[in-house]
Amino acid sequence: MTGDPSSGGPFSGFDLVAAGPGVSRDDSGEAAARDRVAPGNPSVTALRDQFPGAVFRNEICAGDEDVVYVDPERITEMLGWLHNDPEQHYDHLADITAVDYGGGRPIEVVYQLWSIPHRAALRVKCELSLDALEIESITGIWVGADWLEREVYDLFGITFTGHPDLRRILMPENYAEGYPLRKDFPLRGRFSRAEQTRRALTQDPEDYYVPGEIAERVPQVVEPAAGEEGDAEGVG
Amino acid sequence: MGIDKPGILGSGSPTFLTTKLDFVVNWARRNSLWPMPFGTACCAIEMMASAASNYDLARFGMERMSFSPRQADVLICAGRVPYKLAPVLRRIWDQMMQPKWCISMGACASSGGVFDVYSMVQGIDTIVPVDVYIPGCPPRPEGLIYGLMMVQEKIRGESLAYHDELRAEDPLAVGRPRADDEEVADLTGPFGNSTHQNRVSGLVDTDAIGRAEDRLP
Repeated sequence: MTGDPSSGGPFSGFDLVAAGPGVSRDDSGEAAARDRVAPGNPSVTALRDQFPGAVFRNEICAGDEDVVYVDPERITEMLGWLHNDPEQHYDHLADITAVDYGGGRPIEVVYQLWSIPHRAALRVKCELSLDALEIESITGIWVGADWLEREVYDLFGITFTGHPDLRRILMPENYAEGYPLRKDFPLRGRFSRAEQTRRALTQDPEDYYVPGEIAERVPQVVEPAAGEEGDAEGVG
Repeated sequence: MGIDKPGILGSGSPTFLTTKLDFVVNWARRNSLWPMPFGTACCAIEMMASAASNYDLARFGMERMSFSPRQADVLICAGRVPYKLAPVLRRIWDQMMQPKWCISMGACASSGGVFDVYSMVQGIDTIVPVDVYIPGCPPRPEGLIYGLMMVQEKIRGESLAYHDELRAEDPLAVGRPRADDEEVADLTGPFGNSTHQNRVSGLVDTDAIGRAEDRLP
């Protein structure tokens, strides 16, 4: 083949495209060696000891990032322990997201944790099969999980049980084409452009906000501490 | 101003008088166009640059950006518009007083641009009537100024006599798509850079991603 870059012949981007997917580099030996030298996160071992049977497997990716695959049934219990245990103290929830690998494989829910005092990161993943896309909400542990879970619900269709206000956050309220970040979702959506335009214009922009959401927004009053009452006078 | 040219004011012909009134009205309108900036993306940065001192949009009568649609004359839609924003754009257009004009600034506002995806309006002309399209990604300030001057040229040719026919909108159509279904389908058809068209053409095998050698430096 003239387009083979290894032959030294002339080739272009189109030749590469025509060649199709090549064989992936076999780096299993390399990865294994890297894993042996990586120190690993002590939380992984502690999590295994604390919840025997609930940690399915763990791996180290991109050199030093620990990933733990855990049982979705026990996710609040385990994340709550990671949050509260003084040895772990993962007090910052950096992100919740999900990954759909397509081909009927389970969708992964990803929790990215960060411990501010220990300066340690941990990625916790749960695999949910496509016929049971449901997991318990962790808004009881981190209040900030509220919108992150809504986003995952909006774009992947994963239901978070016990979430206080689970509705779409990015897509319009009346969106009926499914969940856009799923692998089986067509790039241009399921409806025709005319139908999408019609649906978009039938909604009222003020419907995005429930009245309670606006009414709860009261001005915050900062109470002065007991010792600094004199300083706080006249402020605001 | 040219109003006291011999032959314009001096003639007693009523048709001639109408033409003169058109001239005065159009002269006033085209030299005091207040833009309503609807900036959603990088085109808005160029729009700000056009208004700033180096290009100084005020030289041509766009004395200030009118951030209230009630006092605006020309809607400048600068940037991509997702479907969630479409009713907002439509409402702002409905709130603007007649006479009003609309500029679609940049590739995304005019055609959806590279965002040929589920969430993006494929050209705001499916939502509101557009007078001038400015190509570019984003257009330079000169492009925006040229587009505004094309609106001025358009106003110069307008007449009070048939103004209503030109600019009137069906009151029942307010808040609805401007174009009917077939027209929307025509306007939003796949363009040359569309993923769909590439796949159909057979030029690009969409499975050919994620190959290991592509990721190597």
